[in-house]
Amino acid sequence: MRRNFTQLLVGLIVLAMPLVAAAESSVDTDGIAFFEAHVLPVLVRRCYQCHSDSADQLKGGLRLDSREGTLAGGESGPAVVPHDLAKSLLVSAVRYDGLEMPPDGRLSDDEIESIERWITMGAPDPRDETANPEKNRFDLKTGRDFWSLRPISNPPLPVITNPTWPRTSIDYFILSKLEQAELQPSAEADRVDWLRRVHYDLCGLPPTVQEIDEFLSDQTANAYERLVDRLLASPHYGERWGQHWLDVIRFAETEGFEYDRTIPDSWRFRDYVIQSLNAGIGFDTFVREQLAGDEISEEDRRLQVAAGFHRLGAVRRNAGNQEVSGSRNEVLTERTDIIGSAFLGMTVGCARCHDHKFDPISQRDYYRLQAYFAASHEHDVPYVKSDNVEAWKSETTRVQREIAELTQLLANKGIAEEKATIAKIQTLAKQLPAAIPMVSSVRNDFAKQTPIHVLRRGEWAIPLDQVWPQPPEVLPLGSSSVAPRHASMPRTALADWLVDRQNPLTARVIANRLWHYHFGRGIVPSPNDFGRNGMPPSHLELLDYLACRLVMSNWQLKPIHRMIVLSSTYRQSSEMANAARYRTIDPENRLLGRFTRRRLSAEEIRDSMLLLSGQLNREIGGPSVMLPVEEELVKQLYDPSQWKVTEERSQQARRSIYLIAKRNLRLPLMEAFDQPTLQASCANREASTHVPQALELLNGRTSNDLADRFASHLAGLAAGDSQSQIELGFRMATGRSPNPEEVRLAKAFLERGAHREFALAIFNINAFLYVR
Amino acid sequence: MSLLPHQGRRRFLTESFCGLGSLAMASMMAQERLRAEPNSPLAAKASHFPARAKSVVFLFMAGGPSHLETFDPKPLLNKLDGQTRPQEFGEAKYQFVSKEARLLGSKRTFARCGQSGIEVSDLFPHVAKVIDEIAVIRSCYGDRVVHSAAQYELMSGRVMPGFPSMGAWSIYGLGSESDALPAYVVMPDPDGALEAGQPMYGNGFLPAAYQPTVFRPGDRPVLNLGLPAGISSQDRYQTIELIQQLNEASSAEEQDELAARIRTYGLAFRMQTEAPEILDLNNETEETLKLYGVGSQPTDDYGRRCLLARRLVENGVRFTVVVSGGGAAMQQWDAHKDIEENHLRMAAETDQPIAALITDLKRRGLLDTTLVLWGGEFGRSPEAQAGVGRDHHNLGFTMWMAGGGVQGGRVVGATDAIGLRAVERPCHFRDIHTTILNQLGLDQDQLTFPHLGRNERLTQVHGRVIREIL
Repeated sequence: MRRNFTQLLVGLIVLAMPLVAAAESSVDTDGIAFFEAHVLPVLVRRCYQCHSDSADQLKGGLRLDSREGTLAGGESGPAVVPHDLAKSLLVSAVRYDGLEMPPDGRLSDDEIESIERWITMGAPDPRDETANPEKNRFDLKTGRDFWSLRPISNPPLPVITNPTWPRTSIDYFILSKLEQAELQPSAEADRVDWLRRVHYDLCGLPPTVQEIDEFLSDQTANAYERLVDRLLASPHYGERWGQHWLDVIRFAETEGFEYDRTIPDSWRFRDYVIQSLNAGIGFDTFVREQLAGDEISEEDRRLQVAAGFHRLGAVRRNAGNQEVSGSRNEVLTERTDIIGSAFLGMTVGCARCHDHKFDPISQRDYYRLQAYFAASHEHDVPYVKSDNVEAWKSETTRVQREIAELTQLLANKGIAEEKATIAKIQTLAKQLPAAIPMVSSVRNDFAKQTPIHVLRRGEWAIPLDQVWPQPPEVLPLGSSSVAPRHASMPRTALADWLVDRQNPLTARVIANRLWHYHFGRGIVPSPNDFGRNGMPPSHLELLDYLACRLVMSNWQLKPIHRMIVLSSTYRQSSEMANAARYRTIDPENRLLGRFTRRRLSAEEIRDSMLLLSGQLNREIGGPSVMLPVEEELVKQLYDPSQWKVTEERSQQARRSIYLIAKRNLRLPLMEAFDQPTLQASCANREASTHVPQALELLNGRTSNDLADRFASHLAGLAAGDSQSQIELGFRMATGRSPNPEEVRLAKAFLERGAHREFALAIFNINAFLYVR
Repeated sequence: MSLLPHQGRRRFLTESFCGLGSLAMASMMAQERLRAEPNSPLAAKASHFPARAKSVVFLFMAGGPSHLETFDPKPLLNKLDGQTRPQEFGEAKYQFVSKEARLLGSKRTFARCGQSGIEVSDLFPHVAKVIDEIAVIRSCYGDRVVHSAAQYELMSGRVMPGFPSMGAWSIYGLGSESDALPAYVVMPDPDGALEAGQPMYGNGFLPAAYQPTVFRPGDRPVLNLGLPAGISSQDRYQTIELIQQLNEASSAEEQDELAARIRTYGLAFRMQTEAPEILDLNNETEETLKLYGVGSQPTDDYGRRCLLARRLVENGVRFTVVVSGGGAAMQQWDAHKDIEENHLRMAAETDQPIAALITDLKRRGLLDTTLVLWGGEFGRSPEAQAGVGRDHHNLGFTMWMAGGGVQGGRVVGATDAIGLRAVERPCHFRDIHTTILNQLGLDQDQLTFPHLGRNERLTQVHGRVIREIL
């Protein structure tokens, strides 16, 4: 504080000297800081309502929300004349000297003094483009030449020397690069290894022993193809790939922060994702529905559920005094940033406070993107039809009234009738209809549209120019035009632009995500960042080929999956053919001369343990499940009553995607195995290795409970026959039969009768925890 | 790859079946140092420059203790009691109180303590005795006036969840010094949770290896360290052994990640055997227990946790948070209703244990390398709420540091004459963070992790080391 004041004093002294012009540039920063701290907030709070672009009706022709407007003034003359208090109408107006402004109460003396001091300083005002030192750091033409912003090409298949290797077109791209590096692809994976790999990859579950046997005995020419088609048609496909999408779009069912309020029935959104993927919805439609489902149809609940996309971010709410604009700004920021990460693969959030440091995204671009959401507000609607709602309301009111009457009676009655009355109340309470099914969605409320301004340093209290919806300048507009300032369906316009054929990013980004999940690493290894600070593609032509294919096949994802998992690239073994050479030339396997082994995800580990122990409940969809957890964990919730354990045992055995995604309470097992924090978009899960994972699988509640059941399950399948139990246990957990050494070790162990411990050991071995 | 790198696999198997006790087994495994393990994410790493502190203990006074009742006496506030705030002090935004609120004088008395003569209120008679070890920072400020956002900022430097806490950053930067204990421990108040919840302590976007271990109240504070009912340590050891053998039998392939996973099982067993002894306060002398107020009320609970914190520090735990306050506002330092009742009670629970921790660390020669930080997510308003309470207040409040290279007996910064605003040497939370990193030998600019297109840091924009107290 003191320092600033001293700087200010220095500034004033400098101004008083004759060399004003020469000194101006050094004064400017401090002057602007003064303006932003002391003058601008007053203008925004007390003047903008009538004298800005967001005014319902501009008064006196005066605009105080830009430098030009302020200097030009209105009908009565210039509002501010730098260095000249006497000629500045703003001064006499706020002094109530003639004009009395603002009319609803004089500014405080401090505020008036600040305005005067500012004018004396020369009225430094950053509210235009030329005063923004961060502006024009990049050149749009050069910007457009960056690989990810160039149009998607339709590359021909590369020429290769070994034409017998490829099975699908992607193999040409992979082999060509391997050949250039003088590397050989690895041998084909063992049939069982591929089967287990593709089962986890497409459905998130291991093949059962029966499924293994069927596949191994299927010697027909198209056995692989038929298996892949079966898996892609399985409802588990949507569960597996739905989880990937939920990671990317920061899905959670609670708002986080202190109240961690449940977003009403937001599990419906999770089901929407699963169903859409299972139904093979085109990705373009998928984008449109999530961004603008409510605009597409006000009646279709499915679409309103989809638009619940905008409700998934963390929301801060607080008791007491509210900072309405600040909170609104937080929400809009969150909703804008996710568009960049999830769809564009651009860190547009970096341009919130200043032009992007690495990519050709200006601060203005950022707020133009935000402007698409200016009218979007939370909207919770009943899932059922309105007459049902009426019935629900009247029934609820009836029961509540009766309860109230009885309670009133209770207060007046003698002891004798008390018990009976209480019993009656309890019976009535049970008749209360269950909470009405809800949809958490959004809708446009243009009356409550937030004027979107470029914000100086991203601070909502320092608005600069107002902006309207428009795509970032560096990207092609495509067939969509700039939406009119007051478009009736702004988010539809945004979605249309995202999936426009000329938009080079959306198709590339989703194609890369598919590749990333299949191979554990994207062609672009930073799936949320296709900018200069991200990582370059290892196979750009391949990425473009996939993106092209995707768009040409109406954005269908399943054909891309199919092309990938049936490729020779995907069918390679994870064992290295020429380990030493690969280690030197391609240690990270960027060229894909082998399959990269991967650890199972948290969900896969839990789901597999359930499956192995014969407990897995394969039911699809429905309200989320809360598992029994350590009491201490629940106590760490600010409102522990939020954790309502789902009592039914079969529900507790649902797949992990159906466990509640609660921001403030994550399950230790999931947390230890790198489940995302649920706070922001997660494009790439870590696969870390650390001691709590071992402790969790050795001593944790889930693994120990399920080891018990796995042991009984094995005993049930092969009673008293330890050899068969070992064989079965291995095949269930790892897909393959145990080797002789494994059999010997396990037999020796089981001789002590420790079946449960054997089952637990299986949950802990690498052959189970990794896909190879 | 074997569980024991220096021994043959077979020999190890035979010996383990010959009934070696688990402790002997554990000491054998002591040869395997996690921190010497290059592939472990918690391998000890060199600091950026020589460190003054090895460990940090954060005494987190949740809910926001009043600076006006503790370390920042304001005679003028007492004079102005009952009046509205004079205009010259400027504006402030509060969560609840309005502009018309009246100033509230403090009923506490302050005395100059120790050789340094720092003023400490009568809430803290024990801490007053060790004040010469303490550097009081009277000019702290943060950006938010509501609990959750302020707690996130205090812990992670950001007003929203999802960013790594200072504890997570510390172990990301330096790794672990202990094989038997987690590197980053949080001991919450058993009374209940805080507004910002678990995410405030978390690893955010850092890998899960940097997550905190949240201790539970009671005898078995570490989740999954205790064995399930009916399982003996010997049973479980044999299971671990089977896991290792099967891993070795299944693949001839050497792969770093697989090998690293195999090693975590050895370490897990080691933790399982050694940690319970470290966590057992029964090994402490009567005198020490008494020093911390263990066994008497109202100090027993916080005393136990402070004593545990010392044992953790002794055994190489890098970052420990000991929380005072949890559950409803009145169970925290969140004195909306009655500042007197609340602070007298909260101070009585913590004063003696905190002084004991400093005394005990010092006499064991640990204070030099242990940075102790005291404070909450904000202070409290000069204005009254509900007559005798105080509202949240983020514009100026007190935190203090001791040990770990901090010069005790100093005061840095000041608030204005009514304690509204930090006016002299204001210290933002990021300055606190920067100072902590600095004492740990970490440079805030070098400690980065790429996330969503940026190299994120704890201190975001450059923080300043509070040199005045070093």
